[in-house]
Amino acid sequence: MIASLRRLSLLACALLATPLSFATDTPTPREMWHGAVELQYAELSAASERLEASAARFCQSPDEALRQRLENDWLSAYQAWQAVRFIQFGPVEQNSRGWQLQFWPDRKNLVGSKVRGWLKAAEAPDAQDIASDSVAIQGFPALEYLLYDDAMDEQALSDPGACSLMQAITTHLADTTSALHRDWQAFGEHYLETPDYTETTLASAIQALEILEDKRLGEPMGLKGAPANGYLAEAWRSGQTVRLVESSLEGLRTGFLPGLTALLREADALPLAEAFRDQLDKTLVQASELPPGLVPSLEDEEAFRGLQSLYLDISQLRHLLGNEIAGELGLVRGFNSSDGD
Amino acid sequence: MQRRQVLKVGLGSVAMALTPLSWALPAREEAAWLFSAVDDPRGGHYIAGVALDGQTRFMIEVPERCHGGCLRPDSRQAVLFARRPGTRMHVIDGDSRQLAHTIAAGEGYHFYGHGVFDLSGRYLYVTANRLEDSAGLVRVYDAANDYAHVRDMPLGGIGPHELRLMPDGDTLVIGLGGIKTHPDYGRVKLNLDTMAPALMLLDRHSGEILARHEPSYHQLSCRHLDVAADGTVIAGYQFEGPEWETHPLICRLAADGHFSELALPEDVTASLNQYTASVAFSRISNTVLVTAPRGNRVLLLDTAQGKLIASLALPDAAGARCDGNGGFLVSSGQGGLYRVTPGSATPQLVASLELRWDNHLT
Repeated sequence: MIASLRRLSLLACALLATPLSFATDTPTPREMWHGAVELQYAELSAASERLEASAARFCQSPDEALRQRLENDWLSAYQAWQAVRFIQFGPVEQNSRGWQLQFWPDRKNLVGSKVRGWLKAAEAPDAQDIASDSVAIQGFPALEYLLYDDAMDEQALSDPGACSLMQAITTHLADTTSALHRDWQAFGEHYLETPDYTETTLASAIQALEILEDKRLGEPMGLKGAPANGYLAEAWRSGQTVRLVESSLEGLRTGFLPGLTALLREADALPLAEAFRDQLDKTLVQASELPPGLVPSLEDEEAFRGLQSLYLDISQLRHLLGNEIAGELGLVRGFNSSDGD
Repeated sequence: MQRRQVLKVGLGSVAMALTPLSWALPAREEAAWLFSAVDDPRGGHYIAGVALDGQTRFMIEVPERCHGGCLRPDSRQAVLFARRPGTRMHVIDGDSRQLAHTIAAGEGYHFYGHGVFDLSGRYLYVTANRLEDSAGLVRVYDAANDYAHVRDMPLGGIGPHELRLMPDGDTLVIGLGGIKTHPDYGRVKLNLDTMAPALMLLDRHSGEILARHEPSYHQLSCRHLDVAADGTVIAGYQFEGPEWETHPLICRLAADGHFSELALPEDVTASLNQYTASVAFSRISNTVLVTAPRGNRVLLLDTAQGKLIASLALPDAAGARCDGNGGFLVSSGQGGLYRVTPGSATPQLVASLELRWDNHLT
C-alpha cells in the first residue's frame, strides 16, 4: 500500500518534469516494466503459497487426487518463476535468490545428494534449516526430485520424513518469493528514477534469451560442441523442460514486450517492436506444439526436428533483440561490466 | 593445444621507445609487454601480450578465462591466473612470447585470479580456496624450482582476492573478498548474508596475520588494491547488497597503519554502480586510479589524502597500470586501450583491438 502510494507520487513528479511532447497519461517504458514485473512476482508469490498449502494438504491425508494437485501446483509455481526469470537484477540478486529458486545447471547432481542427505537425517528439517543450507535444496529442483525421481519409488513421498522435507522446502520457497515481491515493490522508486535501468532491463532480457538458446536448449540438445546430454536440461526428472521454456517466452510477452514497445515507439522504431512481437508469437506457437519434455525427443528424429525449430526460432528472437533492437537503441553490453570479478 | 599467434603491425618499436615503463615496484627497468587476460569476440580465452602502442601483440590460447597477473622481478616472465573458480596459472616468457609453464592448483583447490612475487622473484604468492573447508589461503610457489608448491598460509577467512607486496618486502597486503564459492556451484555466491571481508596484512615469512581491517558493512567485498612506494594502500570494494543502497567503495590504509574509507561525494560513489575493478598507483605523480566498469568510468584520486581529482567517463573501464610517465594505461572490456593523464579532461584512445580485455593489466 505504502509502496504503491510512493510510486504514485513519484509518477506525479516524473510527469511534471516530462516534456509536453509526451502525452501525460502515457507511462514510460520503465514504469511499464516495473508494473508488469510486479504482477509477475505477485503471481510467483501466490503460486508458491498455493504450492505450500497443497503440500500441507497432501501430507495430512495423502491420496492420488491430492498428489495430482500437488504436482500441478508445483508446475504452475515453477512456471510462474520461469515467466519472470528474465529479470536478473534488483531484489532477485539479493542473497542469490534466483539460485535459491532454481539451482541449475547441476552437473554434479548436488540436488540429488542434498535431498538424499536430508531424507536420511535423524530429524526432519524445518524451513529455517532449509534457509541456512545450500541453494541445491532450496528450490523447485529439490521438490522435483521428491516428486519425480526414480529413487522416490523406494521411499514414499507420504513418509513423514519425506513429507516434512517437502513442506520445509515449500515454506522456504513461499517465504522467499513473498520477500521478492515485496522487495520489488520497494525497489520501484530507485528503478524508476535511475535511467540506467532501461539498458539494464534490455541487457537482462537479451541475456535471458542467450541462456535460453545456449544453455537451456543448445547444450542438452548437443548443439554446443559436446554430445547431447539430457541431464543438462532443466526439469528432466519431471519431463517438463519445454513447458518451462514456453513459460519463459510467455513471461517475455507479458512482462517485457509492453515496455519494449513503448521504448521503441519513443525511438521512432515501432516496426522493430512489431517484428519482435511477431517472432515471439511464432516461437510461442512452436513451443506449445511440442511435447513437454526434452529428453525423450533426443531419441526421436521427428521430435528432435521440432526442438530444432524451436531452437532456431529462439535464436532469431535473440538476434532480433540482441543485435537489431540493441543496435537501434545504441545499447553496448560490457564484458567486465556484465561479468567481471 | 595452446595456440600461439604473433601479430605484428609495424611502428610498435617506435612507440615503445617513446614510452618506456619504469617500475619502482617491483624492481624492473623496463617491460616490453602489457599482459592481460582477454577473450576474443567468439568467446575464446587467451592471454595477450600487447606492446605499449597497442598494436604489436601475441596471444596464447588457454582453456579457461583468466583474470589478473604479475611480473616476475629480474626476469622476462609474467604469471597470469585463471579466474575464480579456475585451477591453473600460466607462466609466460616475454622474450620467446611463449607459454613457459602451466601450474595446476591441485586437487581440492582453486585460484582466485591474482598473485605476486617477492622482490627477488623467487617465491610466488597466490590467493586460493581450499575446498574442503572453504579456507582462504595464500599458497606459496618456488619459481626457482619449477614453481613447486612450498606451503600454504591460511587467512582465517573466505575469498582472498588480489594481493601485493608492501615496500618492506616482507609484508603482503591482501583483499579478502569474504564471498564463499565452490566449483560445484559455479559462480553462485553462497554466503552473501554472512560475509566477513577484510583488508589484511600478512607476514610472508611466518604467515602471521599482522592486521585485519573490516569494511564498514559486511557486504562490502574487498577485492583489488595497489600499494604506493611509501606504503599507502588503496583498495576497492564490490558491494554485494541491495543495489539501491550507497556505501563507500574505496578504502585507504595509510603508511602509518591508519585504516579509513574514502568519503567521496555520494553522486560519485553512486555513479560507480557498486563495483570497482582495478586500482593502480602512479609511481611518478601522486595519484591513484580506480576503474569502475559498471559505471563506465575511472576515478583519479590524490595519494596523500585520497581526495577526488577527477571522475572520467571510459566505457567498461577494466585493467589499469601506471604508464611510467605519471599517467595510466587503462583497458576497456570493449577493446580500447586508453591513456589517462592527470590534468587531461578525457582519456586518450591509444588503440582499439578486437579483444575483450579482462579486469586487469600487468
